[in-house]
Amino acid sequence: MSITLTIDGQSVQAEEGQTVLEVAKRAGVTIPTLCYHPALEPLGACRLCVVEVIQRGRSQIVTSCTMPAEPGMEVRTSTPAVMESRRTVLELLLSRCPNVPVIQQLAAQYGVTEPPFEADDPNEKCILCGLCVRACNDLVGAHVLNFSDRGISRVIGPAFMEKTRDCIGCGACTIVCPTGAIEIVLEKEALYAAKPLGPASAIYVPFLQAVPRVPVIDTDACIRFRQQARTNGELADACGVCQLLCEARAIDYTQQDEELDIEVGAVVVATGFADFDPYLAPQYSFGKSPNIITGIEFERLSNSGGPTEGEILTAEGVPPKSVAILHCVGSRDKHTNKYCSRVCCMYALKQAHLVRDKTGADVFEFYMDIRAPGKSYEEFYERVQEEGVHFIRGKGAEVTVQPDGKLLVKGEDADLSRVVAVSVDMVILGTGMTAQPDAAEVSHLFGIGCGNEGFFTEAHPKLRPVETNTDGVYLAGTCQGPRDVPDTVAHANAAAAEVLALLTKGEVVISPATAEVNRDKCVGCGDCIPVCPYTAIARVDGKAQVNAALCKGCGTCVATCPSGAIEALHFTDEQIVAQIEGVLKWV
Amino acid sequence: MSKLKNVGDLQALREKLQGQISRRKATNTTITVGMGTCGIAAGAREVMHAILEELQRRDIQAHVTTVGCIGMCSREPLVDIQQGDEDRVTYGNVSPNMVPRLIEEHVVNSRVIDEWVIGRVSGQGG
Amino acid sequence: MVEYRADVLVGCEHGEHPDLVGALKAEIERRNLGAEINVVETGCRGFCAMGPILLIEPEGIIYCAVKAADIPEVVEETLVKGRVVERLAYQEPVTHQRICHYEDIPFYHKQMRLVLRNCGMVDPRSIEEYIASGGYSALEKVLTTMTPDEVIQAITVSGLRGRGGAGFPTGRKWSSTKHAHGECRYIVANGDEGDPGAFMDRSMMEGDPYAILEGMTIGAYAIENVREGYIYVRDEYPLAVENLRLAIERATEMGLLGDHILGSDFSFHIKIVRGAGAFVCGESSALMQSLEGSVGEPRPKHVHATESGLWGQPTALNNVETWANVPLIINMGAGEYAKIGTTNSKGTKAFCLVGKVRHTGLIEVPMGMTLREIVYDIGGGPQEGREIKAIQTGGPSGGCIPSHLLDLPVDYESLAEVGSMMGSGGMIVMDDTNCMVDVARYFLDFLKDESCGKCTPCREGIKRMLDILTKIVTGNGEMSDLDKLERIARTVQRASLCALGKTSPNPVLSTLRYYRDEYEAHILQKRCPAGVCRDLITYNILEAKCTGCGRCLRNCPRKAITGERRKLHVIDQALCIKCGICKENCVFDAIEVS
Repeated sequence: MSITLTIDGQSVQAEEGQTVLEVAKRAGVTIPTLCYHPALEPLGACRLCVVEVIQRGRSQIVTSCTMPAEPGMEVRTSTPAVMESRRTVLELLLSRCPNVPVIQQLAAQYGVTEPPFEADDPNEKCILCGLCVRACNDLVGAHVLNFSDRGISRVIGPAFMEKTRDCIGCGACTIVCPTGAIEIVLEKEALYAAKPLGPASAIYVPFLQAVPRVPVIDTDACIRFRQQARTNGELADACGVCQLLCEARAIDYTQQDEELDIEVGAVVVATGFADFDPYLAPQYSFGKSPNIITGIEFERLSNSGGPTEGEILTAEGVPPKSVAILHCVGSRDKHTNKYCSRVCCMYALKQAHLVRDKTGADVFEFYMDIRAPGKSYEEFYERVQEEGVHFIRGKGAEVTVQPDGKLLVKGEDADLSRVVAVSVDMVILGTGMTAQPDAAEVSHLFGIGCGNEGFFTEAHPKLRPVETNTDGVYLAGTCQGPRDVPDTVAHANAAAAEVLALLTKGEVVISPATAEVNRDKCVGCGDCIPVCPYTAIARVDGKAQVNAALCKGCGTCVATCPSGAIEALHFTDEQIVAQIEGVLKWV
Repeated sequence: MSKLKNVGDLQALREKLQGQISRRKATNTTITVGMGTCGIAAGAREVMHAILEELQRRDIQAHVTTVGCIGMCSREPLVDIQQGDEDRVTYGNVSPNMVPRLIEEHVVNSRVIDEWVIGRVSGQGG
Repeated sequence: MVEYRADVLVGCEHGEHPDLVGALKAEIERRNLGAEINVVETGCRGFCAMGPILLIEPEGIIYCAVKAADIPEVVEETLVKGRVVERLAYQEPVTHQRICHYEDIPFYHKQMRLVLRNCGMVDPRSIEEYIASGGYSALEKVLTTMTPDEVIQAITVSGLRGRGGAGFPTGRKWSSTKHAHGECRYIVANGDEGDPGAFMDRSMMEGDPYAILEGMTIGAYAIENVREGYIYVRDEYPLAVENLRLAIERATEMGLLGDHILGSDFSFHIKIVRGAGAFVCGESSALMQSLEGSVGEPRPKHVHATESGLWGQPTALNNVETWANVPLIINMGAGEYAKIGTTNSKGTKAFCLVGKVRHTGLIEVPMGMTLREIVYDIGGGPQEGREIKAIQTGGPSGGCIPSHLLDLPVDYESLAEVGSMMGSGGMIVMDDTNCMVDVARYFLDFLKDESCGKCTPCREGIKRMLDILTKIVTGNGEMSDLDKLERIARTVQRASLCALGKTSPNPVLSTLRYYRDEYEAHILQKRCPAGVCRDLITYNILEAKCTGCGRCLRNCPRKAITGERRKLHVIDQALCIKCGICKENCVFDAIEVS
């Protein structure tokens, strides 16, 4: 419903529920404000937006930010009483914060150029407008900032003025603060402790080189999604700061994960590897100290996009003085994985180099032997040796956390034939590569082989390294076995080439020797379906049916069928018997 | 105390309780007992207790006060009764068994028991 | 049940002599009078200057300033022998006559104790005594003979206005609450009394808690759809909290509170919420915030609490004194009640008469009584040789009324007209030894900590006004400061968020209005006419009067006084901190302030 009121003699229309300030702003009447923000509930604290309102014959001075517009109301924004009030309020604010440009400028507009009183603290910037408090509580829902104490002792801060981990560092307070009184200080120690090596905020660009370079929302960390999950979807109104501030209006909380059905002619399986779970090697005490980290975590730590902006720091926030790097964690070990993960030696050497280079710390590498085959690899190993890294030939046996927080690494130095122990500030576990935990499911889905370790089996280890036993399904990268980046790229290119070779032909050649079901004999028991390694059999109308395009004619189903209903074409019983008879004729 | 179930219960309770604070309200009757050493020796305390009991039994609103020796020790225990602007009447040699009749005749029916009276003071001069 | 012959009423239990009741009981026991004499602990009887007070009924004998050591004599003489202990009776200050009967003392004689009728007369912990003295007869009348609308009508006709300070008509408040839309309605009793020197509400909550409960219950009945009421009491009043809690418990047990009150369909519950003692929580919107569990800070009141108050529901919030008036009005009849007081201010008002009068205490007078009657007849006038200078009413938000306006009738409008306010009922009398600049400074000093600090004018304005006043009382003031002071005061008055802020400059503005000469003396002559402001005075020993007794020398905390025995003593001005202890101790009046 529209209502009419007068502002400074000018008749204006307003919507019901609008405040006088909103109406005046729309009508082009300037009213100074400090504690007002359109996204936040008005507080009426700074009292700068006072106007004179004449209503039912009664005149009163009110704050326009809180006063609801009412029909027939007469608003005067610059009467002498209003101007004097604003001027005095600005005098008082300028006396409190003499060096804040926003207040200096506003005060100058009202003829106040010098603070009439001496400030208690000339560096004071906070005018206690409470915008940050409202943003933190009403908008973000972090409930970190609030007022404490009263009267002239009133201050804004976290509870008991103590640092709190409840602060998520979102910075909403700094954005709304009119006087620049709040600064976000990235406290590396705090950040590291709050979110070790993970993304620093709930919304982030996945990695620096990401394409497309757009942020994603971590729904487990996002206040809004957490609220939604907590209330089973009933509430989803917390925070919303990103949406509020995004000028492109690109934030959409309603987006959902989608499943797409796409028909394709070929599939490249490139599901990658899983980092070895260091808890499976308890002798290394992973999890017992924040300074025992995996190789991948070290990558995050030393990355310039990481939580410490690339500085190598311990959990205490200081650079380590000594670092131990343990090779073969989860590799070449009969208790975990027997195979060599191939990449760890080289990344461990690189990390040793980074630690030396960035911190100058003593580095101890515990290794069995260094595997550095390939171009320039051995040369790099030599360079790292020259950089003063201590190489201890012998697998790290045990890591223990000392009472003072230092880490004691024990191992046998095979060169010296004696047990060695070093006390260090940080331990990097050179964790190996393992197959993805769902490798068995994936192998079944695509009808491809899977070895004992969980890596997918290629059609031929030497001649067909990217193909699988299922036509049209190819392998690329570490899902097939541990390999480093150049090898993975080469492998992937090969898979792509295979796919192109297949698809450009436009047709596929299939083997004529496939299985066929005699529907008269089939009883529909279904025993053949799970045994088919190529998922070529399905039950159609209660009976088994073989997809000739998938069938490789291996004969497993033929042998399995209890009622003898499946025959391998070109290898029917009659043909085989005939062949036997033919052979026997010559005997 | 049990719950009041209706307004009637409240009224009944109030009536019952009113005696409890009647000492702080004006009543029409003041009974004064001489409680000097002489009076107590002659049994004034027993007389006063008898008066209090009798007043309570009959649910009479009256003030009972004590005074010291007024000099007529030979006639103790002495009890004065005064109602409103009436004369203040002094009874002598009062014993507890005389109390019911005193209350009945003088306090309730405002009839002075002349045979026990030993003195009168004009109510106005009081 | 034992029928006693006498009641001994002991007030002021939490005063300086907490052993009085014990001593009395022990003495009565020792003399075997336990069956005859009833000792009753009551609330405050208001005659605080003379406390502790014993009242012996039915004789109506009142003893002042009784000590435990006086008890045997009181028991022997009065309770056994019926004689008055003259030396404990009240002594009339002018004629020095002893007055032994309660009603004869002028302090009580001039008062009209209606709301305070039970304070000091019944045991506040006994619902039986309250009922016996006519308690709950108003509720009875309301439940049996009046409709809710008739109750509101009666309150409206009675002319009762809020006793908390603003004086809003209570009937109108109840009516708007009743007609506002909401799921339910609430009523609240404001017992967050925070003014320095005021204790009316405390005395009522301690001394007659049932009257407040009864008033609220009647209010709940009248406003309808009120299931819950709250009493907000500051936690600095432990006895009030205890007595109210006990009263709620007992009233609920008796069926006078809770579900189905007196067997009717009307149900109402009362809860006590303890405040943490912030002055600002006496402001209604801050009080409700605090009640809801938030920080007590005022909200802009474009929507009244009667529309959207506690938890967004229509709420009738009244001061405890207002609630205590309700049963009185119902019992007296609205018409009778309206006969008391003036045209626009009806009924009586309780005041805490404190400061430089002989008889300080809690008093209740009909509206429209003049300040002179209150100060001279009830308060006994100024101390010997002193002169009344001003009367400060309305607490820190009130103003100072000069002595030439002593014939001003005390009602809402008259007080506002002269720049002060009724407030909750603080009344501080000042004489010629009070410096008005210092008084204004005192109140601002109180307010600088008690302002919630939410809005700029109140928070910063009070601080800066205080800065200026401090400058003036230390002798550094300039005449231009007075203009500055007035301008800030005007802005604080105009632009502050809540009533507390808007009224906070009243002490400054009213003293500036009536005592500008004192300000000017401080600024121009660097002189404090009342001899209060330490930086502007010196203490000197008069040669003519000093006997060299050495009392001042012994008591001086800074050893600033020297002198041989029986010879003139001298104050070393460099060491003197102007504490005034020497002057207080000098029995020869030989120390002069200049």
